Amino acid sequence: MKAFELVEPATIDDAIALLDAGDPGVRAVAGGSALVPMMKARLFQPTRLVSLRRIGGALRGIHAGDGGLRIGALATLTELEHSTRVRDAAPVMSRALRTLSNVRIRNVATLGGHLAHGDPHMDLPPILLTLGARVRVAGRGGERWIDINDLFLGYYQTAVAAGELITEVHVSAQPHDARTWYEKFTALSADDWPTVGAAVWYRTAGDRIGEARVAVSAATERPVRIAAAEQILTGAAPSAETFGAAADAAAAAVDPLADIRGSAAYKREMVRVHVRRALEKAR
Amino acid sequence: MTHQRTLSFTLNGRPVTATARTHETILEVLQRDFGLFGARESCGQGLCGCCTLLVNGTAVSGCLYLAAFADGAELVTVEGLARGGTQHPIQCAFVEKSGFQCGFCTPGMILMTKELLGRHPRPTDEQIRHYLSGNLCRCATYPDIIESVRRAAELV
Amino acid sequence: MGSLDFARGREVGRSLGRLEAAAKVDGTVEYIHNLRLPGMLHGRIHRSSIPHGRIVRIDTSAALAVAGVHAVVTADDVARLVPDPYYGPAFHDQPILATGKVRHVGEPVAVVLADNPHAAEEAADLVAVEYEPLEAVFDEVAAAAPDAPVLHDELRPAGMFTDLKHLAGRRDTNVALDARLRSGDVEQAFAEAEHVFEHTFRTGKVMHAAFEPMVTVAEPHAAGGLTIHTASQSPSFVRSEISRLLGWPENRVRVRTAFLGGGFGAKLYIKLEAMAAVCALLARRPVRIALSMDEQFYTITKHGATVRIKTGVARDGRMTARQVETFWNGGAYADIGPRVTQKSGFSAAGPYDIEHVALDNYAVYTNEPPAGALRGFGISQLVWAYERQADVIARTLGIDPLEFRRRNALRNGRPHATGTVVVGMEVDAVLDRLAEAMAWDKPFDRGTGTIRRGRGIGIGVKACVSPTTSTAAVHIYGDGSCAVHCSTVDMGQGSDTTMAQIAAEVLGIPTTDVRVVHPDTDVTPYDMATLGSRSTFHMGNAVRRAAEDARAQIERMAPGATSFRDAMLARFAMQAGTVVGFGSYAPSYQKPDPETGLSANITPFWMLGGAGAEVEVDTETGRITVTKLVNVADVGRAINPASVERQLTGAAIMQLGFTLFEEMVFSDGQVLNASLADYKIPGFLDVPRELTGTFVEAPHPEGPFGAKGVGETGIFSPSPAIANALYDATGVMLYDMPLTPERVLRAIREAGGRPLEQA
Repeated sequence: MKAFELVEPATIDDAIALLDAGDPGVRAVAGGSALVPMMKARLFQPTRLVSLRRIGGALRGIHAGDGGLRIGALATLTELEHSTRVRDAAPVMSRALRTLSNVRIRNVATLGGHLAHGDPHMDLPPILLTLGARVRVAGRGGERWIDINDLFLGYYQTAVAAGELITEVHVSAQPHDARTWYEKFTALSADDWPTVGAAVWYRTAGDRIGEARVAVSAATERPVRIAAAEQILTGAAPSAETFGAAADAAAAAVDPLADIRGSAAYKREMVRVHVRRALEKAR
Repeated sequence: MTHQRTLSFTLNGRPVTATARTHETILEVLQRDFGLFGARESCGQGLCGCCTLLVNGTAVSGCLYLAAFADGAELVTVEGLARGGTQHPIQCAFVEKSGFQCGFCTPGMILMTKELLGRHPRPTDEQIRHYLSGNLCRCATYPDIIESVRRAAELV
Repeated sequence: MGSLDFARGREVGRSLGRLEAAAKVDGTVEYIHNLRLPGMLHGRIHRSSIPHGRIVRIDTSAALAVAGVHAVVTADDVARLVPDPYYGPAFHDQPILATGKVRHVGEPVAVVLADNPHAAEEAADLVAVEYEPLEAVFDEVAAAAPDAPVLHDELRPAGMFTDLKHLAGRRDTNVALDARLRSGDVEQAFAEAEHVFEHTFRTGKVMHAAFEPMVTVAEPHAAGGLTIHTASQSPSFVRSEISRLLGWPENRVRVRTAFLGGGFGAKLYIKLEAMAAVCALLARRPVRIALSMDEQFYTITKHGATVRIKTGVARDGRMTARQVETFWNGGAYADIGPRVTQKSGFSAAGPYDIEHVALDNYAVYTNEPPAGALRGFGISQLVWAYERQADVIARTLGIDPLEFRRRNALRNGRPHATGTVVVGMEVDAVLDRLAEAMAWDKPFDRGTGTIRRGRGIGIGVKACVSPTTSTAAVHIYGDGSCAVHCSTVDMGQGSDTTMAQIAAEVLGIPTTDVRVVHPDTDVTPYDMATLGSRSTFHMGNAVRRAAEDARAQIERMAPGATSFRDAMLARFAMQAGTVVGFGSYAPSYQKPDPETGLSANITPFWMLGGAGAEVEVDTETGRITVTKLVNVADVGRAINPASVERQLTGAAIMQLGFTLFEEMVFSDGQVLNASLADYKIPGFLDVPRELTGTFVEAPHPEGPFGAKGVGETGIFSPSPAIANALYDATGVMLYDMPLTPERVLRAIREAGGRPLEQA
């Protein structure tokens, strides 16, 4: 790694002032678990890193209320994993966190960094896409909210602009009858990055599915909602046929990237299998 | 000078200071300034666990941990586990069950076991496997490591 | 009190813990990785970005401008010190730094020397090399063809190792060696066979991924010598080769090692040592070159191989003829590939009694990173082929796979395909133990729906490399304490403890009282290398003889003494003196006939390994879960049974990785997954629920206390066992390793008439 300027502001405002430098070499860093490997591989050579670790209160904490979960951007993944509030409000998140990367990474990685990284292989983005969430972002011009559906723009690209900082994540309150599941498929070792991540969410009204959300990650260049699958599910009976048809629609809708973990055709097929399995397992 | 820092932290129970460049990892400082080699870099990506150390009581990957972030923290490496010349019970368990071969990953396994037992004093095999799944052993001494962790849970 | 009790016999055969256990759990154990010397420079390699090309120009100015950079070393600098900079155990084909041309992506072109590793790394990126690209060839079969682009204009045999003396100089070919074996008349036998089976099997390239990445520190001496501290499995070879390159006598080069953080064959012969030595001599300062895990992918790999295998079978299920043609992808430099080619190649008939055998093996250069030894040499590539085919034959003929192997087994007293009469190989005992461990005679639930279950077995054989020499010294000091001096490298396999047990057994003292001095060519005597499962047998014999020699000297010196301490006092009248026992071992050997490959004495011992696997196959994803994996080895006698079992289960899991998902993926010679982020190795969650490493004992007449080597045995057979279990579960045949989910699913869908679209 090369020398760079490291600054450790104590407030969000100071951090934003330091981030907004019109220089792509300026980045915020929290746990560093995503950024430092890129620096070591010389894929990213910062001129300035703005460390967030001295910023207290406002960026930490996990709060539960009628409106859902409010999670400070600097909450670590370990804190989320063991949070009873997360477990009560969104057990699908707690379960996914247990196999997300490894303990050491979860100990330092933060939710804000996890989302801002824009890596399509992360586990929480597809889950949040189905749960409903929005991300609070601070910048020199003030604050704004980005709906989770608008956050992921492309491969390692998010709607968080240079000079902006994710400060909070708001996970929508879940209706008591919402069924959720996240199905993760690894093609190489068991602890590999996912080849496909499939998250589902649906509610039933009587013997029909009322509302449904399906999201796919890892196989695609960014985590995506699959509208075609959701349309098939909505209003249909929660049966094997329905789930199969939704899975077929998801497979048809995705545009998988071929890589060492599989060809596009194989990943498309894995999207089919794992969307269907996620729907079958949702509870 | 923002490119270089003087750090003060607690290392294995002792207050220390060190000077580090911003782009250096804590591993480099531990090796260069304190002659501690129990945490060691292998994969360089936080995936194998050979570089594990405890910062404020939780395990981190030293190869990804910028030295500057150690300022004000409490660091424990495998060298800091023994008390008065007596091995920590987890170390005793790894010796008793021969939970190692080449030994390069061993300090990481031991420190991760410490964190595991802090959270789950009586871990199930499933908990052991999941908790340690981010620590790799190329000699694949996994069965003996699991035995060692089971034994450690009895001894701690 | 009686006299010295040499007949205790309490040390060999015990599952003792490691002598170095305390240091390994408290982090203080010595690895060369830890070594820092005053005034030391850090070397960082600038590597080729193209697979094949001429070097037109190297511009080092930007690199030299980086603060902290001391020098940038290129082939021109090397030539000032070493006019003929080519090294290698088989051929002198590998330059210390790329000279004139590059032959693979990642080949070292320059070394930056700097005060700190960050400056060296930054500067290494700034070395600018202009290339004139040449046509490259990657496939081993294509590279062996007469019209392929040629990597090396001329091949010069190294002429060092006895077993490689037959290598001839060659020009204008990528085939470094063609090794053949002819026994009987295969053509006639095929014509008479009831059935003839013919298949082609392939294995990809994989990597050792030893956790202590390669590291060497070279330290020049003011008086004109050199110490090389290196994480090497072959310190004696390093000394010889560095001396030869420098034109120095061996006594001016000192090579020392410490514990290794894994080796698996990667740290053999010359890796960083020549480069570090030259840099240190040029800079007149100590130089440390330490690779990252990622760089290891460009340094040494395991051979990928294409194996064409044809087998004739009689009506009664006995194999009568076998013809095997194997192309070994050796990469850009031969390293020890020719030995892999020949020594593994001649074993392609397997542990079977086949009368007519014809084997052809080609060591082929390609523009990929060099391939060398990886735990088992080339054996697992061949076992993959012949044991997959064995199940096809058995299934086709309706014979139980275990019974098929029993029917064809090569038994003691019968000639192997090489003509050597087999001694000390317990094929029936291994098969019996395997059958028992797998409950082979019990019914087996093959599953339903999308999860199908299957089981399979495999058995493979290796002949230990020959002829090789080990020497050892046992020192008794003035106070009666004892040290073993030997150049066997403990890289995790536990050789220190094993050697101490052998010495302790002979000397009648506890193993924990024996100190094992680590390899240091100024101190410890010659050993060929720590490789090929040879140490327990060869060095074990040398240590045993050295201990016997020391014991005999003590007995002569002070008859009736009751302890070594008393004996030394009796002789020297104070705490003084040293008794040095010396032992050496080199087995007898008969060089194979160059035309037929036949030899009456090809190996000192045979290693036999059987494996059994039970799998669950997810027929919708193609993912295989190995639920049970059993390794059975024929070990002669276990010096340390727990250590043996650990080697067998460790090898099983390593090979499970190679079988299911480990593979270096190439595109135009670039490795697409050169890091543990994308080259995944087995972790805790990949370990089968049931995992057993077990062994059968039948003391080998020549082995120390009957022992044979075992470090590689567990590697031989898990791959075909797993693939045969897949075949049992799904009826799907796979010919290529690894058995990735995509390959499996494609085969399942193909067989079901619903093929997955390409791309």
